[in-house]
Amino acid sequence: MKIKSLDPRVDRLALDAVDKQPDAVLQPEEHWGTYQVFHQRKRGEKHSSVGIVHAPSAELALVFAKEQYGRRGETVNMWIVNTRDVLAMDYDDYDVFATTPDKMYRDPAGYKVNDKIAEFKKANLHV
Amino acid sequence: MFNKETLDAVRSLLLFQADDHLIIGHRNSEWTGLGPILEEDIAFSSIAQDKIGHALGLYTILHEQLGEAEPDTLAFMRNETDFTSCHLVELPIGEYDFSLVRHFFFDLAAHIRFEDLATSAFDPVAKLARKVKGEIKYHVFHANTFINQLGHGSEESKARLQSAVNQNFGLALGMFESFEGENLLVQQGIYKGEAAIREIWLGEVQAVLLEAGLKMPDAATTASVLGGRKGFHTEFLQPLLDEMTEVFRVDPAAEW
Amino acid sequence: MYGGGYIHDDQKKKTENVAEDPALLAEFEARIARGEKVEPRDWMPTEYRRQLVRMIEQHAHSEIIGALPEGAWITRAPGFRRKLALMAKVQDEVGHAQLLYSAAETLGKSREDMINDLINGKSKYSNVFNYPSKTWADVAVIGFLIDAAAIVNQVANSKGSYGPYCRALERICYEESFHLKQGHSIFVYLATGTPIQRAMVQDALTRWWQPIMHFFGPSDKMSQHTETLMRWKVKMATNDDMRQQFLNMYVPKIREVGIVIPDENLRKNPETNMWEFTEPDWNEFYEVIKGNGPCNAERLAVRRAAEDNGAWVRAALRKVDQHYVTPLA
Repeated sequence: MKIKSLDPRVDRLALDAVDKQPDAVLQPEEHWGTYQVFHQRKRGEKHSSVGIVHAPSAELALVFAKEQYGRRGETVNMWIVNTRDVLAMDYDDYDVFATTPDKMYRDPAGYKVNDKIAEFKKANLHV
Repeated sequence: MFNKETLDAVRSLLLFQADDHLIIGHRNSEWTGLGPILEEDIAFSSIAQDKIGHALGLYTILHEQLGEAEPDTLAFMRNETDFTSCHLVELPIGEYDFSLVRHFFFDLAAHIRFEDLATSAFDPVAKLARKVKGEIKYHVFHANTFINQLGHGSEESKARLQSAVNQNFGLALGMFESFEGENLLVQQGIYKGEAAIREIWLGEVQAVLLEAGLKMPDAATTASVLGGRKGFHTEFLQPLLDEMTEVFRVDPAAEW
Repeated sequence: MYGGGYIHDDQKKKTENVAEDPALLAEFEARIARGEKVEPRDWMPTEYRRQLVRMIEQHAHSEIIGALPEGAWITRAPGFRRKLALMAKVQDEVGHAQLLYSAAETLGKSREDMINDLINGKSKYSNVFNYPSKTWADVAVIGFLIDAAAIVNQVANSKGSYGPYCRALERICYEESFHLKQGHSIFVYLATGTPIQRAMVQDALTRWWQPIMHFFGPSDKMSQHTETLMRWKVKMATNDDMRQQFLNMYVPKIREVGIVIPDENLRKNPETNMWEFTEPDWNEFYEVIKGNGPCNAERLAVRRAAEDNGAWVRAALRKVDQHYVTPLA
């Protein structure tokens, strides 16, 4: 017995109505591996990470990324990188950055001389 | 600027292209939600939308410059025998091998035609052709990449593609059926003409298929499936039009 | 796009009482309380991971299945403008499914496993898509009101704790605003159009009203379970709150074009400022979740067929040395 649908496209698929289907349809990795997508909106701006595509090759990853991440708004460029090639830090290692904000010797705000100048002026009024 | 006979020929050219684009866009939209993998479903749907957009662009020129009815009327209210689409685009979507091969054949032809029309002496179509150049570039990239990668894929994908190419080559050649007044367009720098487009198309199809490890049938011994440009269609067009216009015809005067 | 507020859960007894390391749990909860996001590969309670995978996965399934009731009308859309808009809208649903499966993958479940669970009936999707789209006007009601309900849910969830889900929702919410406008536009044109058009959209609204009222799920009293999920910012608002929000925003919009909602008791109480309504039939709701709705079998059969028919394409292109790794999002 075929499934009769209100959707003419589904009707044309002539699907069998069955009570119990066999279990798993997809094998592991059947939907391919993934590529990370980077999108550049305008020349001069940075490329941003916008998500992934499942694709069997770099060319098809670009073909897919163009529509999944570029079908609205502005785009001038895209990169794709195989997820396997991305070496990501562990969030657990965030502590390597913990003291960075304290390193004021690297920061313009770490160099205040106004007090010294004021003091000098006071002590050298005749200058 | 152009005489009546020439404009009639321009009308024929634009109408059959518009009809082709509308019908193939409609067919390809049938895959939305049913594609072989999510990413490709999304990409193929964009391509279908573009084709319908190109049809709309062409119908708009027919309406604004050549005295035809509004695009919605042209698309949704004409009879089957008034359509000048080729048989290739009318066929049901079949399986993905057929739809991909049809997409490959058609989009390459559209690319060659629009490339030529980008320098047409008939300005409105030149403008449209230049505007959609990038979209078509992507369509061809998509098609050629799939043909190439499936051609080098599995035994099954090679066999399916070769079979689809062989079985539909005559239909594809039918895209280049000649039409009345073509020579006027060639003479006046409006359009290269079907024969010239066909030659370029054959060369490019050959190149892509070769690189994909597939064979192109011999054009010299393949019968072109003709009749579409003269309003003779397959049994598939009427049901397609019935479906496409089902809601519109509930009340053509209504605003939907 | 179609994230139903109601997340079906028949497994919660199994993991909610797993004993977690108290120090790690405290640090985890402190992070969330500070408003920081949880990222992939962070330590997280078993129950948190399970709830997230379930929620994001069901949301993804809702999108891909949700593409079907409106997809039914793509080939029959009246006129170029509606044809292009509907194609783009349904394409977006597929796009949203892709974004959401991707977010769920970061938690370690493969897309193949998720889709298998969908097709086997193990994982659920928003009940509302188990109903048939009988006319063109159904496209208006779905596009306008169900997308509206989904937006209420998505906007709430976009402030949740899991980074990849929030990022996916940001993108989705932006595209949703087009869906809502598109759906509302069709709705208004029909409601203000010819007698046939008005009758068509009134009939559609009448048929869809109960599924719409079911959308956010049954009333969720503040149980311990709900309280935990809200503390973890997995659940961001109660079903009742979201339903009230939806009614508040959209009942006036339905009524302003003269469409009648088939519930005489539906009104905003001026004293409590809350919407009162006839309680929908929750038995029907549970029956449909179990698989006995009008379209459950068809929806899953179509999804199964799409995967089956595409198998040769996927197999042909797959490389021997493919080796999938959990993606970043």
